Amino acid sequence: MTKKKDELKNKDNVAAEDAKRVEELENNWKRALADYQNLQKRVAEERESIVKFANAMLVLRVLPILDNLLLMHKHDEDPGLKMTIKEFEKILAEEGVKEIEAEGKGFDPHAMEAIEKVKGEEGKVIEVLQKGYMYKNKVLRPARVKVGGATSAKEEN
Amino acid sequence: MPKIIGIDLGTTNSAMAVMEGGQYKVIPNHEGANTTPSMVSFGAGGEVVGVSAKRQQVVNPKDTIFSVKRLMGMKFSSPEVQKLKKNYPYAIVEGTNGMAAIEVGGKIYTPQEISAKILQKLKTDAEKYLGQTVTDAVITVPAYFDDAQRSATKEAGQIAGLNVQRIINEPTAAALAYGLDKKTNEKIAVYDLGGGTFDVSILEIGDGVFEVKSTNGDTHLGGDDFDQEVINWLLEEFKKDQGVDLSADRQAMQRLKDAAEKAKIELSSSQQTEINIPFVTADASGPKHLNITLTRAKLEQLVDALIQRTITPMGNALKDAGLAKGDINEVIMVGGMTRMPKVTEVVKNFFGKEPHKGINPDEVVAIGAAIQGGVLGGDVKDVLLLDVTPLTLGIETLGGVSTPLIKRNTTIPTSASQTFSTAADSQTTVEINVLQGEREMAADNKSLGRFILDGIPPAPRGVPQVEVKFDIDANGIINVSAKDKASNKEQKITIQGGAGLSKDEIEKMVHDAEAHAEEDRKKKEAIESRNIADSLIYTAEKSLKDAGDKVPADVKTEVETKAKSLKDVLQTASVDELKQKTQELSTAMQKIGQAMYQGQPGQEGQPGQFGDQKPEDEKEGETVEGEVVEE
Repeated sequence: MTKKKDELKNKDNVAAEDAKRVEELENNWKRALADYQNLQKRVAEERESIVKFANAMLVLRVLPILDNLLLMHKHDEDPGLKMTIKEFEKILAEEGVKEIEAEGKGFDPHAMEAIEKVKGEEGKVIEVLQKGYMYKNKVLRPARVKVGGATSAKEEN
Repeated sequence: MPKIIGIDLGTTNSAMAVMEGGQYKVIPNHEGANTTPSMVSFGAGGEVVGVSAKRQQVVNPKDTIFSVKRLMGMKFSSPEVQKLKKNYPYAIVEGTNGMAAIEVGGKIYTPQEISAKILQKLKTDAEKYLGQTVTDAVITVPAYFDDAQRSATKEAGQIAGLNVQRIINEPTAAALAYGLDKKTNEKIAVYDLGGGTFDVSILEIGDGVFEVKSTNGDTHLGGDDFDQEVINWLLEEFKKDQGVDLSADRQAMQRLKDAAEKAKIELSSSQQTEINIPFVTADASGPKHLNITLTRAKLEQLVDALIQRTITPMGNALKDAGLAKGDINEVIMVGGMTRMPKVTEVVKNFFGKEPHKGINPDEVVAIGAAIQGGVLGGDVKDVLLLDVTPLTLGIETLGGVSTPLIKRNTTIPTSASQTFSTAADSQTTVEINVLQGEREMAADNKSLGRFILDGIPPAPRGVPQVEVKFDIDANGIINVSAKDKASNKEQKITIQGGAGLSKDEIEKMVHDAEAHAEEDRKKKEAIESRNIADSLIYTAEKSLKDAGDKVPADVKTEVETKAKSLKDVLQTASVDELKQKTQELSTAMQKIGQAMYQGQPGQEGQPGQFGDQKPEDEKEGETVEGEVVEE
């Protein structure tokens, strides 16, 4: 009698364990499937953004040339140079690269990088040292700026 | 169960990663970068974290908190904290229970609260990226962190709204990333040269559990010091050359810093680089430019003293662990500076062992944390079962060619099927020879087994459709079946355990395939052109027979002659000769079509089609003619 009971109990245990295992495996399977589907979605998104930002890397590498042309322009008022810079900026604008307007604006750490604190109105951009650019609503490169607010010559710098 | 992300909460930079489908994935932050500066700023514009905090440090030095990790779980009175208090621009004060705290804008923050803000940003960015809520994390700490520092880190996670599933050691995470948890009884040295700190740890792995035997290092040595050496050199050179001191010019210094970093990175892969900073400054004589060539040798000389400073800690760590250099089985490189070839060389020479590289050293700790998270969440346990086929599997087809069905490195379980046909008229049996290997010819690959499918109803060659199906289950057991679609007759074979090749054998086979690639390709081309020629001869003979006397005698003779001349040299001719004769026959055969078209002007005809008898591309479900070896 007891032996039979034990046997039955044993069978119940095995069945319960099997059920648990099935549930566990089903969970794992669903999770793997979910992972896969999520990955597919993200790959699609990433592909889209790669296409969108494919130019960004190139633009970022070319920008220092424009920086240098602008620096050159500070020393040399040559009209040919001025035209070259204009052409350069026109192409960038056409490709959707937008200059970040910084001069005289409030300092925004999301789009600007403070290089120096100088005398002037607190929290205002006093001078742009290197232009910053947006590309398709993302900061491609922050503008490098001098920010006002220094109260003494000691703090300046 | 939700995803558990791995977070490397670093002194200067933090990173995060997650397991997905058995692979780790580094999660970029909102700005698109894989690492986030561990900085928090409380400026006029509110609280900002990460790169934005870094960008306004100059404006709000007192309100910008960096390197807060150094304060985690530390007593205010400790000498380390007292030293930091003197050097850091923000206010370090005594908080509750004598712990170090930070005062910003009249408010007192614990280091945990500041770290929590960094973790909070990472959490938010991860949620945006993953498209799901993140509640659980594994966070790494240096191996030397004591209990107070560890619980402070855990608390930081809790404040950020994360269930910290586990705190693990950074060197352990790095070892996990390289899969070293599968080793037994090994000693591992982890060399971590980051942005601002240098750590060396000796670990011992036994039965999947890592034990930290010793740690050593230099809390103020890192990549920033290397950059500074280059900047100093540039300043000196410029002064020598142009007589101008740039060190007071903030803008020039910033450009120098950019250039130094860029040069350092370039010299990891090239022997010399040119540093150009036009219009770096100007004096009465006009604008001045910086133009200097920096060689790798010069760079190594500049930073040699810094690299040498890592040698004593390595020796001390070994000594503390009671080990000799030769006892170390594995060496792991962590931190961006280890990309520098000279650093790797020094470490290699010290331990006499090639260090593990390959995983991005800035991300390897976060990756290891993610793997630990995967193990805890059950992700990793499951996917570890998912193996890949180490070698290509296929069958032998006409001319002894190996036709692949499942390419190497395919994740299993997987299955593939392709339909083949007979090579001769009235062929009733096909032999399926299951092959493993990367070579083009069956004879060069390993035969795993063969079987015969018989009872195919007699039909002209190319007509029967035999579907060959390969199936590999999760245990690597291969089932190969062949089924004749007309008679539904089926035969199959089961191959256990992927033929049990060792790693060396697999590597050898892959290597052989690479070495013989060109030769194999030529062999295969020869056989394929012979198969094409043979198939065309068959078509020619059949067409002539079918057309009967509708074909003028001269055309018939021409086709017969061309076919015979091709047939005679089928086994002996060179590839070029075969191709030429095949082309000639093909041209001649077009005349059959033309003749028949002229004979029946009312009927639609497509002259030239006879000449287009080439094996079709292997598309799923399409019959590939004459590809199964004739019995």
